[in-house]
Amino acid sequence: MDGKYASDPEWASVTPIPLDDGEESGASPLAYIAYPTEYLEATSYLRAVMAANEMSERALKLTQDVIAMNPAHYTVWIYRAKILLALEKDLNEEISWLNTVALKYLKNYQIWHHRQVIMSTRASFPTLPPKEQDFLVDMFAQDSKNYHVWTYRHWLVRHFKLWDNPREIEDVNHLLKADVRNNSAWNHRYMLRFGPREGELDAGMANAGDMSTTPSDKGVLGVVDEDMVDGELLYAQEAIVRAPENRSPWWFARGVLLASGRGLEEWEEFAGKFVAGDVVKSSHAVEWLADVYAGAGKEGLAVDMLNLLKEKYDPIRKNYWDYRIKALGQATA
Amino acid sequence: MAAPFNTERHVKYYLRCLKTFLPSAYTSNDSNRMLLAFFTISGLDILGVLQEKTTLEERQGWIDWLYHCQVPTGGFRGFSGTDFGAERRTEENGIWDPANGPATFFALVNLLILGDDLSRVKRRECLEWLPKLQRSDGSFGEVLGPDESIASHRDLRYCMCAAGIRYMLRGSASKGVEDIEDIDVPKFISFIEACQAYDGGMAESPFREPHIGSLEFLRRGKEDIHSVPMLSPGSRKYETLVGWLASRQTGDLGEDEEEEEEEEEEEEEGSDNASTESIQDTDPTPESEVSIDEKIGALSELPALTSDSIPCAGFNGRYNKCADTCYSFWNGATLMMLDRYSVIDDVRNRRYLVEKVQHLIGGFGKTVGNPPGMTKRPLSLHVLSGTERRIPKVTNPTPSPDLLHSYFGMVSLAFQGEEGLARVDPLLVTTQRVVQHLESLPWRS
Repeated sequence: MDGKYASDPEWASVTPIPLDDGEESGASPLAYIAYPTEYLEATSYLRAVMAANEMSERALKLTQDVIAMNPAHYTVWIYRAKILLALEKDLNEEISWLNTVALKYLKNYQIWHHRQVIMSTRASFPTLPPKEQDFLVDMFAQDSKNYHVWTYRHWLVRHFKLWDNPREIEDVNHLLKADVRNNSAWNHRYMLRFGPREGELDAGMANAGDMSTTPSDKGVLGVVDEDMVDGELLYAQEAIVRAPENRSPWWFARGVLLASGRGLEEWEEFAGKFVAGDVVKSSHAVEWLADVYAGAGKEGLAVDMLNLLKEKYDPIRKNYWDYRIKALGQATA
Repeated sequence: MAAPFNTERHVKYYLRCLKTFLPSAYTSNDSNRMLLAFFTISGLDILGVLQEKTTLEERQGWIDWLYHCQVPTGGFRGFSGTDFGAERRTEENGIWDPANGPATFFALVNLLILGDDLSRVKRRECLEWLPKLQRSDGSFGEVLGPDESIASHRDLRYCMCAAGIRYMLRGSASKGVEDIEDIDVPKFISFIEACQAYDGGMAESPFREPHIGSLEFLRRGKEDIHSVPMLSPGSRKYETLVGWLASRQTGDLGEDEEEEEEEEEEEEEGSDNASTESIQDTDPTPESEVSIDEKIGALSELPALTSDSIPCAGFNGRYNKCADTCYSFWNGATLMMLDRYSVIDDVRNRRYLVEKVQHLIGGFGKTVGNPPGMTKRPLSLHVLSGTERRIPKVTNPTPSPDLLHSYFGMVSLAFQGEEGLARVDPLLVTTQRVVQHLESLPWRS
């Protein structure tokens, strides 16, 4: 092989280890890929330095080369992190490099996990670096619903305890103003306001990570700031009138009411404004009323609402609405 | 008349993937070869032609490759690329060639599909390794890094794979492995329950649904989990989850993406059945000046939809996103496990799969795209821990079939009893034949 590494004096001392797919011992490889020669060469040198457990500058450069061809390689990232720490490299530089890689490969898990590994090095990053949130905004400018970035931001909030950091809610407000249907931003908002805080295990709802919490208490906060809750409910209402068919704020409001121990009936009047006789302005309001009626023992009214959904406003879910009608002990047409 | 599922073309597609090299574009998924192998052989098995189109000798060669991927200390690698040779392996450098959770799960299933009896699997070593992958909060990682640290991002699919390995290798009676420490089951259950979000869906993973798979593995392993509310019909947790899954079905197929992009960049993801709805505010007035009541009064009436106005409906994975083939599987499989598959619209789901994303050359694409033969961009490789290069927004997305979407699209049809497809178990995501073979293994009877 006369490739980039074979002809490089820096690598002359290393004997590459070629890919062994077991063919010599009679095995037939599955999912064999038509690998580019450069990839085969780089990974054969990677195996060699890994086998020697080499912690060096040249190995660090090599990881970068392999990552460029296969960013999903699960050990090359761990190896890179170990070298960075062993050589006591400046981790700020690593973050800068990661910024360029993340913008190039938008949908990659390993890049964001690696960033988390680096950022959790307390010696280098005792507090939140000032540019970190700015970079996340740059990422959201590419894709405001990028799951990896949101997962990382969630971790960042918990790691640096940023629930009340004003920048967090500001960014959420900004993103929801630009796209009120951005459910990732709604999720983040909920996490900032009602998610588990310091000392509590992470979970999708308040008080839900602790094994000792009884099922009925999961999702419900012990102490509630009623003004904050009222503010969030109003925020959800403003969002709903902007786009009444947007499921996100309707379900956000359900979560807010649950966390504060308040019931859906609190919004009966609000939801009712979208359902006046034959004039319906939001299918989610119809579902809300169905739930309120069902909870109040008014099964007949609840079924009327579910029939509206089934017959007029949400026919894709006909079977689901029938299931709900049956659950109310009513016969379906 | 309903459009056909083109069995012959799908067989050809899988045979091509199995017997010829995968294209170089798959290089960025090199580390997922165990999973790609699963799609190819299980795909042919579901199509009912694995035995007929491959020889005993071929199958033995593949079995040998799977064992070639077994790590000396137990468990399997995701690909042969980390193997630098048993003779060079030491305790110190072994961390760069670790056993991988999902790969171990798929390697075991692959062996079973090919008819192997798992007798060469390092069962004890694998079961000793498994609890080390469990974090203190009950969740599971992908691989062990330096100092046995759990080195991987959080992904609930890892939990499902761990539960699956335990289910296959331990068996409910732990025959022959009674002395090996088990995973922490109560913590595991608690973690999965904690992942349910305020809207009933499951948080913390892009494919959120496998959590139910994790619990289902425990249930099948005869673990007492009848008290878990998420699995109890009638409970708030169970019913909101069913509702969340049902509401993932959408008539928004992202077909108008190109035109929408020209108008408004951030609306490119589509917007559920509200796709025709325009954002109602023009926003020049400060919000306080107009009351909410007035704003509601000014809203237009929601038009009633007729049944034939939405001919096709696939599934999305999150609110306000357009349909993606693999979610027909993820949502469907979860509903199968919850015994509520009947809440979805199977007719519209089938039409979406067969008429909108099925490919002329066999296989399925990720989303609605260009007609085959007019591919404008490279293969989309949206697979487990995969990576997708950013594509300039000038063309329609993903016209080509890829293995992940081809497989999951077909499994979704198999769930609905598509003619010519074998019955598929929603948990092991492989045929019932393979599940029966598993049950016949010595430590399970």
